[in-house]
Amino acid sequence: MQEAIKQTELQTEQPFLARFFPNNEWVLIAVLLFEVLLFSVIGNNFFTSSNGFEITRLAVEIGLLALAMTPIIITGGIDLSVGSMMGLSAVVFGALWRDAHVPLPLAIVITLAVGILGGYLNGAMITKLKFPPLIVTLGTFSLFRGIAEGLTRGIENYFGFPQEYLFLGQGYIFGVIPTQLPIFIIAIFVIFWILQRTAFGRSLYAIGYSQEGARHAGIKVRRSLTIIYTLSGFMASLAAVIYVAHLGQAKSDAGTGYELMAITAVVLGGASIFGGRGTILGTILGLFAIVILQNGLRLSGLPTELAGILTGVLLVAVILFDRFSKTASSVNKVSFSEEEFEVKNSQVGFICAAIVLTGLLIAGSNWMLFSSINKGGSTVPATNASSQNASQTTPPTGKKAVIGMMPKAKGDPYFISCKKGADEAAKELGAELLWDGPTDLDPAKQNEVVEAWITRGVDAIAVSVENKEAISTVLKKAKDKGIKVITWDADSNKDARDFLINQATPQGIGETLMDETARMLGGKGEFAIVTASLSAANQNEWIKYIKERMAAKYPDIKLVAIQPSDGDRDRAFQETQNILKVYPNVKVIMGIAAPAVPGIAEAVKQSGKTDVKVTGLSLPNMCKPYIKSGIVDSIVLWNTGDLGYLSVYAANALVNNKLKQGDKTIEAGKLKSIEVVGDEVRLGKPFIFNKDNVDNFDF
Amino acid sequence: MNFNQYKREISAAIAFLVLLIVVGIASPSFFGAGNLGDLVINNAPFLLIAIGMTLVILLGEIDISVGSQFAVASVLAGVLAKSGVPVPLLFVIIPLIGVAMGAINGALIGWFKLPSIIVTLAMLVAWRDGLRWVTEGAWVQNLPSNFQWFGLGQSTGQIVIVAIPLIIFLIFAWSLRNLNIGRAIYAVGSDSEAARLAGIEPKTITFGVFALMGGLVGLAALLNAVRFNEIPSNAGIGLELKAVAAVVVGGAAITGGRGTLIGTIIGVALLGTIGTALTFLGINPFWEKAIQGVIILAALVSDILLRKYEEKLSTDANR
Amino acid sequence: MSEILLKAENIQKSYAGVKALKSASFELLSGEVHALIGENGAGKSTFIKSVTGAIQPDSGILEVCGNKITENSPTFSKSLGVAAIYQQPALFPELSVAENIALGYEKGGFFGRVNWKKRREKAKELLDQIGAKISPDAEAGSLSMPQQQLVEIARALGANAKILILDEPTASLSEEDTNNLFRVIRDLKAKGVGMIYISHRLEELPQIADRVTVLRDGETIGTKEVKDIDRDEMIRLMVGRELSQIFPKRDVRQGEIVLELKNLGSKKAGVKNINLTVRAGEIVGIAGLVGAGRTEFARAIFGLDEADSGEVLLNGISIKNSHPRDAIRNNIAYLPEDRRKHGVILDLPIASNVTLASLKILSGRFGLNFAKEKELAAEYTRRLGVKTPSIHDSVSTLSGGNQQKVALSRWLLTKPTVLILDEPTQGIDVGAKSEIHNLMTELAEQGVAILMISSELPEVLGMSDRIAVMQGGTIVKILDRNEATQANILALALGH
Repeated sequence: MQEAIKQTELQTEQPFLARFFPNNEWVLIAVLLFEVLLFSVIGNNFFTSSNGFEITRLAVEIGLLALAMTPIIITGGIDLSVGSMMGLSAVVFGALWRDAHVPLPLAIVITLAVGILGGYLNGAMITKLKFPPLIVTLGTFSLFRGIAEGLTRGIENYFGFPQEYLFLGQGYIFGVIPTQLPIFIIAIFVIFWILQRTAFGRSLYAIGYSQEGARHAGIKVRRSLTIIYTLSGFMASLAAVIYVAHLGQAKSDAGTGYELMAITAVVLGGASIFGGRGTILGTILGLFAIVILQNGLRLSGLPTELAGILTGVLLVAVILFDRFSKTASSVNKVSFSEEEFEVKNSQVGFICAAIVLTGLLIAGSNWMLFSSINKGGSTVPATNASSQNASQTTPPTGKKAVIGMMPKAKGDPYFISCKKGADEAAKELGAELLWDGPTDLDPAKQNEVVEAWITRGVDAIAVSVENKEAISTVLKKAKDKGIKVITWDADSNKDARDFLINQATPQGIGETLMDETARMLGGKGEFAIVTASLSAANQNEWIKYIKERMAAKYPDIKLVAIQPSDGDRDRAFQETQNILKVYPNVKVIMGIAAPAVPGIAEAVKQSGKTDVKVTGLSLPNMCKPYIKSGIVDSIVLWNTGDLGYLSVYAANALVNNKLKQGDKTIEAGKLKSIEVVGDEVRLGKPFIFNKDNVDNFDF
Repeated sequence: MNFNQYKREISAAIAFLVLLIVVGIASPSFFGAGNLGDLVINNAPFLLIAIGMTLVILLGEIDISVGSQFAVASVLAGVLAKSGVPVPLLFVIIPLIGVAMGAINGALIGWFKLPSIIVTLAMLVAWRDGLRWVTEGAWVQNLPSNFQWFGLGQSTGQIVIVAIPLIIFLIFAWSLRNLNIGRAIYAVGSDSEAARLAGIEPKTITFGVFALMGGLVGLAALLNAVRFNEIPSNAGIGLELKAVAAVVVGGAAITGGRGTLIGTIIGVALLGTIGTALTFLGINPFWEKAIQGVIILAALVSDILLRKYEEKLSTDANR
Repeated sequence: MSEILLKAENIQKSYAGVKALKSASFELLSGEVHALIGENGAGKSTFIKSVTGAIQPDSGILEVCGNKITENSPTFSKSLGVAAIYQQPALFPELSVAENIALGYEKGGFFGRVNWKKRREKAKELLDQIGAKISPDAEAGSLSMPQQQLVEIARALGANAKILILDEPTASLSEEDTNNLFRVIRDLKAKGVGMIYISHRLEELPQIADRVTVLRDGETIGTKEVKDIDRDEMIRLMVGRELSQIFPKRDVRQGEIVLELKNLGSKKAGVKNINLTVRAGEIVGIAGLVGAGRTEFARAIFGLDEADSGEVLLNGISIKNSHPRDAIRNNIAYLPEDRRKHGVILDLPIASNVTLASLKILSGRFGLNFAKEKELAAEYTRRLGVKTPSIHDSVSTLSGGNQQKVALSRWLLTKPTVLILDEPTQGIDVGAKSEIHNLMTELAEQGVAILMISSELPEVLGMSDRIAVMQGGTIVKILDRNEATQANILALALGH
């Protein structure tokens, strides 16, 4: 057949589809259109220009990483270190500006140089020592983050950057366009140009298909690879500079987990992990397919966890589609022998069966879990009955308020117990409660949720603030739009909210904890602290007050160690074991993260040391067995259910103008009258839970 | 056992020895029976995951979904125990759930020839978010009293928790070396086409190894869960990279065909001890991650140096 | 009475229109060493692949141990007792020698036990049988090439192969090893194993072979008892290859010396003391057997392997090519032997392949000039007559001949003054072949200095002004066009 083709018929123009979508990007466009269509129908205010811009703002940091990841994946490599590089760059930048007093522009330049250096390190090890990129960047993944944590001792949090700089991450050009958007667009075009419009870019594709073949054509393979890994380091530090401006703070945990998001975007965009294929258009589409999914789910009030599940499914579906379309179209390709790729019907059947089975499994366990939780829930003591009374005595008045309520981390048991009270209050008031937040502690995610709520148009936002600097700008924006803003659990800057629901000040917590410890020690001896992560802001603030109190009142008490638990019970367990052995004189161990205390208690219990007591800040339910057995002497906390309950009542009152500046009290359902001081609603002092009273609480 | 066969494990072993010596000199209490016992117990469940990861890496593949699988299996173990499933039965059910999760990976990777890093990346996200969705972060509490330590009491329970991984380690180390199935994994990882010609079906092996990996993760999750009387739903974050690091530090080649479980157990010991050792040395925990990264890179570099040295030896011998 | 182990009649096989085997017939008896000889490209490898099941013949009858084979596969032929040892050893590099050998003979369920002691002993025994001093515990990948080959022989021995195919087994063996091998072969003969013995060392054949079959142009020319045929006769039969086509060689007025090699050598490539000059407009053919160092020599010039001794002079100026890019800057082009792996990048479109070595001339201030790329790619695909519907199709969709034209276009676009062609017409159809020959003539007329490596003697004779014969990593003789014959080239290449 080929013989029949005349020379004059040689096609030099590409067909439309192949030209603009060389890598089946139209599939993603279809997915994207579907998402937009779907969410326009079921979401609130999804299809608006302001939402469109906000989505791009949130996509910029990961987008920059994904842009630089694209050429790397095209050459058949991978870079796992980019997220860690962001962390390192952020703290270097912060330290330069605040501690070394380097002028901002110069600090930015040096930061970018650090990125270049780190990227070059990756590139050099990959090309000179010929290690697989996966392993090299796995090593630097730990190394970069480790250096960042080491430099800041984990606790350093740089903030207070000048407004001109913060404008870069928080401001708007012409009032609507996020400042970082032009930078992102420039980056898109630069990388697009390099990759798809220059000789260098072309050679990367050749390298991806065949390194040897490329070398035969005179392409300097090693040099090209070194350049793209260096570029990736540079982009990571650029992303860090924008990230810092976006959140107003520089911490060593910046960009945690971003590498996987970036890789997901690139692969979803059709790049082959084996190299050779991929486009910038694809990467951008892949990025927005994920980001729009998350944003859309949020605006539709659907669980955002669906985003992860759907992303996973989409990822597998896209590569499966690719695999099948390729096998079908390249029959004449010798390299793809039939032997190599045959799938029996039984195997397809198996896959389907396995997926259905695990689906059922999950659904089944879901049901069981819920029923077990509900069983626990039904034993809510006396308060339950009174709340029912309350709901009768205070019928919902005013309009049905939509309240967005955000914890620091959705999965944290502490916040789950707050949610119970919040749900109760919302039910009584007939308000619609949106409960959403980051799945892990992540200030960037908190901003994202607030933005989504602004777009959705809620009446009130109640936030437990992870990071003051990061969230205040966006809360102010919400206030400007007429949304009532309250903070609960942890405060933002004062001018960014209307009221704070104050369950206890950091000072109060710190002092109470220290007093309890001193009581247990009898005013003399050694104790140790197991904190959350070393960079956790709240914990560090509590520790500050604990130390102050210790210095002022308890000269004979010594704090010998502060160990991290990363909010992981098992880690807390292990750290406690170490503390017990290294510091045998420690008599009290204080856990200041809810999951840490049971871990500490279990370690103390298993060590058999009966003279060591545990205290800290945790949930009664988590610690109940340990409190009863006397290992945990006492824990300090407030009634978390009441905190959630009060927050919703306060938010509702604000919306209905029943709470305003200058009020002395607020009526809050079952809690009756609650004191208001200035712009703070006071829940009361921290409560000490011990053997005698713990059974009265269920949260 | 000859030197030649385990030469790649030696650099990790030396690093481990150096670490022990340094800690031993600076803080002899490190070697107290209690501490060593705790270290072994804490790392025993993780050893199972590293064993599975070794098999996967021997094939030249990777599995980064193990952390999420671990969390799913942990929570299910708790939920099932609470709903009245007898604890011994959990030893069957939970690993089987792991096998089911691993089999999905294995099927997509073995039969459909999809790249393992992408498939398991998808599963990493999907399982984790699926679990979050279902549990909303709630811990499994109020477990039956016979759940912790399988109701055997602390000391017996600890023995069980250490014994099972060690027995499995011995079985796998032995099988990997002495059973045809073990050698088949090496052959497929070394050259899958040649393996096919030698009558070994790479697809089946790949599928089997991923399913087995899932099963081991399930078992590890169960053994870890019974050390406590509550089960957090956020378990196992970052476990995958730790497991890969342990295997690579143990001398396995990420390209497949090379590596032993002896190396892996050294890798597990090295990475599992380092945190505790730093505490004993009084070094700030902030530097732990950086030191971990340095160890991974140092293992790579020492491997290169060893290879260079070998090449020199062999060219000298040829002359 | 010895039984017939292998019987092949009229085996035919063509690749993309090129007939590699036209009519090959062969017979192997038990306890026989049957030599199969022929020039490079005579079809020996294709025939062997048909027997081992690596490829399916288009037609013909194949019987192995009395089983008529309709659908062959590597595993099937292995189960019938066929084992092959190629020049390039195919071992599991990470596994030990003992294990590599064991994987040849062991049959056992997945949960079968590995007996390392037995494996080691058996490996030792088999290695001792062939007099190889190799530790059974050594990692196969760490062994030298000849050692790996010995391991393969041991593996085949262990597998109790009834039919053993030895493809140039002695090419890289020392004399001692060769004698050992012959002893092993004789032992195997006594055990009734039939062996197909492929070798260019014709002088070995009387020592070891019983019969010899000559293959030429994919056809069996004849089978003779070794004692009835002498070396000259063998050569005569081998080279009786007909000049199936007229070569378009024209006499060109030769210009200045463009390329001069002085004592060029490369340890890595395994070539040494190469002295050669090429003039503008001259075509110098490089002849020699596989493994004589022809490709390696080209790689050293092109900067793919480092040339660590001697000198390369271009137009009288000493140059050093440490990377192909340097060579390209110096206007040297190299069309590699392995078209699919090195010559083109299969998955890239034709246009990108054509321009890959000249991206610099396409780069303007704003990046690649796509219009110009299309224009140039179209121009060259038309000029070389690449048969394709579109220049945007990937090269993998083309036939071998057209792929080669694309590879050649890439180099013509760089406007080379020295063009090295490595097996430019291997495995491509007759039409494309003569088009490439025409092109070579045209280029020579334009003053390009051409070095042509070819295993096809008629091509070498037909196209070259002078012929350099290589053997053992160096040029042993340079013949003038009029003094060269197939016979004297082959004799030189064989080392006489």
